[in-house]
Amino acid sequence: MKILVCLKQVPHQDARLDIDDDGTWIKEDGIKFEINSYDTYALEAALRLKDAGEAEVVVASIGPDRVTQALRTALGMGADRAIHVKDAEAAASDALGAAKVLAAIAKEESPDLILAGFMSDDGNAASVGPMLAELQGIPSATAVIGIEPSGDGFTVERELEGGAIEVVALPTPCLVAVQTGLNQVRYASLKGIMAAKKKPLDVKTAADLGLADQLAAKAVTKKIYTPARGEGAEILEGSTDEVVSKLVGKIKELGLL
Amino acid sequence: MGSILIVAEIQKGTIREASYELAAFAQKLGAEVRSLVLGSGIAGEAESFAKKGGGSVYAVDDAAFANYNVDTWNKAIRAAVEASGAELVLLSNTPSGWDVAPRVAAGLDAAFVSDVFDIAAGPVFKRRVFNGKLDCELTTEGVTVATVQPGATTPFEGASDGSVESLSVDVSDAKAKFVETKVAEAKGVDLSKAEIIVSGGRGVGDPEKFPEVIQPLADALGGAMGASRPVVDAGWLPHEYQVGSSGQVVTPKLYIAAGISGAIQHLVGMKGSNFIVAINKDADAPIFEVANVGVVADLFEVVPALTEAVKAAKG
Repeated sequence: MKILVCLKQVPHQDARLDIDDDGTWIKEDGIKFEINSYDTYALEAALRLKDAGEAEVVVASIGPDRVTQALRTALGMGADRAIHVKDAEAAASDALGAAKVLAAIAKEESPDLILAGFMSDDGNAASVGPMLAELQGIPSATAVIGIEPSGDGFTVERELEGGAIEVVALPTPCLVAVQTGLNQVRYASLKGIMAAKKKPLDVKTAADLGLADQLAAKAVTKKIYTPARGEGAEILEGSTDEVVSKLVGKIKELGLL
Repeated sequence: MGSILIVAEIQKGTIREASYELAAFAQKLGAEVRSLVLGSGIAGEAESFAKKGGGSVYAVDDAAFANYNVDTWNKAIRAAVEASGAELVLLSNTPSGWDVAPRVAAGLDAAFVSDVFDIAAGPVFKRRVFNGKLDCELTTEGVTVATVQPGATTPFEGASDGSVESLSVDVSDAKAKFVETKVAEAKGVDLSKAEIIVSGGRGVGDPEKFPEVIQPLADALGGAMGASRPVVDAGWLPHEYQVGSSGQVVTPKLYIAAGISGAIQHLVGMKGSNFIVAINKDADAPIFEVANVGVVADLFEVVPALTEAVKAAKG
């Protein structure tokens, strides 16, 4: 079985978010990056399938030089090969553009299963996975919290509202976009990290994938900003004792003390 | 602008409120409104929606659509888009909306914007990024598919003078197969009935701190303990403690959120609380937008002190 895992490198969850000079994204200098949390669960799911049987795990990611680190981490965790699309046009595109790039890779690789994170921690758009599946003409399921091989495909559990779950059967080839908490993500072992240095990491451009000049974004961010704080909370000031005393007062006013 | 196609969603036999919110946005944008109502045995709902904001309704009514399925829904929506010539296709950002809408967009080679909380004239789409920390405005080129956050606006309550046209869609080539829906089991902890809830988030830092710091405050107040999603994802507490859109939706008299940033999935689960106290050392945390009262401080200083003060007050 061949599994393609789509990874995105995103600003670290606790990174300081300063708006850039264009006002259309955040300043990336000086902040730490990490693999999108949702994607780590996707990668772990791939590695577990690999542990359970014969499978090749290929990881792919789009972005500048810093993405190499994310791919090496994935290789260190156990992925077999990595593909880095290092291309300004691809990186500047929208979700559909990213999906087209990944589709070009998927066409070359012909994976049985594509695993992706449900959404990214930065854009939160939850788009690329199902878009890629549409471009590949394969069935997909999103917000997946359970995945089991079954018959000629996979049975997956999709998260619905209020704790309910929808069970769906997908024949391969298929794409599964996973939710956080799907599994417990492993750490790369020292041995794995050393071995990762020798694993193939291919760098490609949009032109290599036949997509030069075809990735203009159709959804364009015009501005990004700290939301105007409306009335919001009454912030309690003072020492811990003063604040606690005010809180006890509020709880008494509610008739709960 | 040209026409808008609303993809209505039926839940428990009727068109859900979120679909009327889409109608409200369409009204606001002043476009001609068309709708798709799909399912099995939905003729009545289609007629009703045509008169209550859906405008001209395309009805896809067949046993093949009895349950949500990404392939059948995708095909039906594409058929309705083609029939309607719509420039903007709106779906609600629900488990079926987020599952199929990106595919509809990619299949049309169209622009896609997800989980918007507002659509201004233009249209300009507004959504949140970085887990609720920043707002973002987007514009699009050409045909656009967008999903709208449920609850983003007041549902449309007026009338529309639409009629229903039947659409036939061949979905025999669907690959995905619906197996079953599993309803949430009765949990040990029924937070939906708790009058007081004290919830901890990622800021609590490690699993032992839940019984050591969060549970004692809940106990002192005579309430229940809850948690945000990252806590459950990390395996620190079982799923039954999760408050949020995919956990439990709660409406207690008092909700105390400690070390919770306030990502939308969590807010959806607790913003209906009567009184919300937020404790977080990040002054920019989105939770402070929905809280009544906030404390920007280390929860490990405030929560134990509050626990002692509550115990003292109770005598």
